[in-house]
Amino acid sequence: MIRASLWQRFAASRSGLIGLAILVLVLILAASAPVFFPGDPFAIVDKPFLPPFGTHLLGTDSLGRDMAAGIAHGAGTSLMIGLVATLAALFIGTLIGAFAGFYGGLVDNLLMRLTELFQTIPSFIFAIVLVAILSPSLSSTIIAIAVVSWPPIARLVRGEFLSLRRREFVEAAIVLGMGDLQMIFRQILPNCLSAIIVTGSLLVATAILVESALAFLGLGDPNIMSWGFMIGAGRTYLRTAWWLCAIPGIAILLTVLAINLVGEGLNDALNPRLRTL
Amino acid sequence: MIAKAWSRMAAAALAALMLALAPAAEAQKRGGTLVMITQPEPPTMAAYLSTSGPIGQVTAKVFDGLLEYGFDLKPIPSLAESWSISPDGKTITFKLRQGVKFHDGQPFTSADVKFTIMEVLKKYHPRGINTYRDLKDIETPDASTAVFKLARPAPYLMMALSGYESPMLPQHIYGKGDIQHSDYANKPIGTGPFKFVEWKRGEYVRLDRNPDYWKKGLPYLDRIVARFIADSATRTAVMEKGEAQIAGFGALPYNDVNRLAKLPTLAMTTKGYEMVSPIVELDFNTRKPPFDNEKVRQAVSYAIDRKFIIDNIWFGFGKPATGPISSNFAPTGLYTADVTNYNVPDGVERANKLLDEAGYPKKADGIRFEIVHDLTPYGEEWQRFGEYVQQALSKIGIKASLRYEDVATWLKRIYTDYDFQLTSNFLYNLADPVIGVHREYHSNSIKKGTVFVNGTGWSSPRTDELMNLATVEPDPKKRAEEYHEFQKLVVAAAPIVWTHELTFPTVYSKRLKDIITTPLGIYGNFDHAYYEK
Repeated sequence: MIRASLWQRFAASRSGLIGLAILVLVLILAASAPVFFPGDPFAIVDKPFLPPFGTHLLGTDSLGRDMAAGIAHGAGTSLMIGLVATLAALFIGTLIGAFAGFYGGLVDNLLMRLTELFQTIPSFIFAIVLVAILSPSLSSTIIAIAVVSWPPIARLVRGEFLSLRRREFVEAAIVLGMGDLQMIFRQILPNCLSAIIVTGSLLVATAILVESALAFLGLGDPNIMSWGFMIGAGRTYLRTAWWLCAIPGIAILLTVLAINLVGEGLNDALNPRLRTL
Repeated sequence: MIAKAWSRMAAAALAALMLALAPAAEAQKRGGTLVMITQPEPPTMAAYLSTSGPIGQVTAKVFDGLLEYGFDLKPIPSLAESWSISPDGKTITFKLRQGVKFHDGQPFTSADVKFTIMEVLKKYHPRGINTYRDLKDIETPDASTAVFKLARPAPYLMMALSGYESPMLPQHIYGKGDIQHSDYANKPIGTGPFKFVEWKRGEYVRLDRNPDYWKKGLPYLDRIVARFIADSATRTAVMEKGEAQIAGFGALPYNDVNRLAKLPTLAMTTKGYEMVSPIVELDFNTRKPPFDNEKVRQAVSYAIDRKFIIDNIWFGFGKPATGPISSNFAPTGLYTADVTNYNVPDGVERANKLLDEAGYPKKADGIRFEIVHDLTPYGEEWQRFGEYVQQALSKIGIKASLRYEDVATWLKRIYTDYDFQLTSNFLYNLADPVIGVHREYHSNSIKKGTVFVNGTGWSSPRTDELMNLATVEPDPKKRAEEYHEFQKLVVAAAPIVWTHELTFPTVYSKRLKDIITTPLGIYGNFDHAYYEK
């Protein structure tokens, strides 16, 4: 019953539905990549610089690699990195925010100073430094994105905890003799989940952008096809072969837009109070 | 009688006419400011201490050398008017030009030559340490004679005396105090056609015409400004708008070069790098399997399509390489193309056959073995190169994964830890094989921790011997024979895949004449350059 009403509330926003539709398409594309484009997306299949809608649907790039294969395989990379990095950031951010907000005092002070320390470093530059130190690979990209993305989550969760822990149900739990951890994870956390989900969904979009930017700068995993890599490799030919940058650029734009729309739809559905404001 | 008188008069009249016209022609060439794009900004102006790329582009205009060089790589007189080499090759006597003055008005003498080479270049110049290793002393019987005394003949030494490689310094300026911290390190004083005026960090270096230059009437230009622009798109735009008149050595992105070269105002040349001669290569670690096996290395050599790399990755700026010595040495006779040719149409079949023979059969999944291929961390082309190599190797059943690290980590991996299997690389041949080639193949260049030496670990007694002989061989013909045999042996053993000789485009204004006149190109002194009026 509750689930139905959540879906109904989400479905009420048209933009959210459009976003979801695009996202599902991207998911299907990613899932079908090994079927439609088996083998290595880096494989040189034809002459370089063949324009789109010829022998190859989206043309070939500067080395003669199939752009369509790159887009399909890149979709999986983008979504996977976006999701995993976001989950990691959510995990770190939620833990730190929860403890800081629940215990307050010295713990709060220490954890928040740590969070601020991370927040003062420009996040993208920090991500570049991390990837450069760890040497570019899939895991170092995920680690870098997670490390620069958790502070806002921590602050958000801390704020929620600060306000929730003074509520009656928490006081009731204290009276019942519930342990700290139980209180944090069973009582308070479920009550701030909606805020975390909304922020997390938007974080996926940011993570995809950061991954693309890193790959664009040549700091992606050299063995994994990604949209950012395709743009980076094609940018020198912007004047002569526009599709090398334009096609993956559009892919990133649509995906990030879709995730943002879904995020907003979720926000409307999960935080109905906002709409009445 | 009368006819004779007439002809004499006519000759006199002609001579007078020529005398009258000559200064006019000179005057027509005189004047103008040349803006040169130098990339990146030099770290210092101390060309006698550092060989960092961009320094020489500026300082070669300020400092002269004892010699200059023609496109045939033969020496031409400069500060040295003439020279003679003793039959045993151990004594070289230079007659110095008289009346040459440094920019501060002091005369240039043999004492300055001795100071520069013995006290500065032999001790501190990164390449000079090697070039002048066998130079025991320089005798100065008088102010205009310098006699080089060598422990062993050093034919390559005659190739290292340009104003770029061995700039002649005034002893009365640089001889005071510690040469490594000279007050004049960034205010160079030489005998060259242009005087250093100022260096505005982050913006430009200004050089003005030296009116007392020893080449009468030269230089033609009034001023040279070397501009430093960090952003490559801006550099292209500045050239396109005509705000700068020359840019070379990778200052402009390759794809922009092809576009700029089509503009009616600009011209492009790939000449002027004959004394640099960079070769792009793939280096094997020959210490461990699978590349300790000659056949495996040959197979990889066969699998690489040189033309594809040049056309699709380096925008056509290159020429297939045949071996360790660049074809730029053809005029000297040292180069030979008569070596194993790996650049053949049926390379993939040959490679597969060699790998089968070497004992690496294809397994059920079509893969023979897996390797890690390290990319040269120098930018985009190198990444594309690595991606291409990965694909080329997959065709012969070698599965390569790519590794991309920062420069310091990469250098340590290749030249200190030897923890690699296959890496891309590029090295300069420079002015002579002794200076630029031996370091990659001689067993005494397997030096842990020294970069850009023998990282493959490959050497053989015979090639070592040939290099030792060629180092001291004064007879050019015998020396050429030694190098021909060396090339054959090295190419057959294939410790390296020589993919191509890199050519650098220099883009310049069509109004500029006589700008690239030596094999040093933009490392030349521009004394003959002028604007067509």
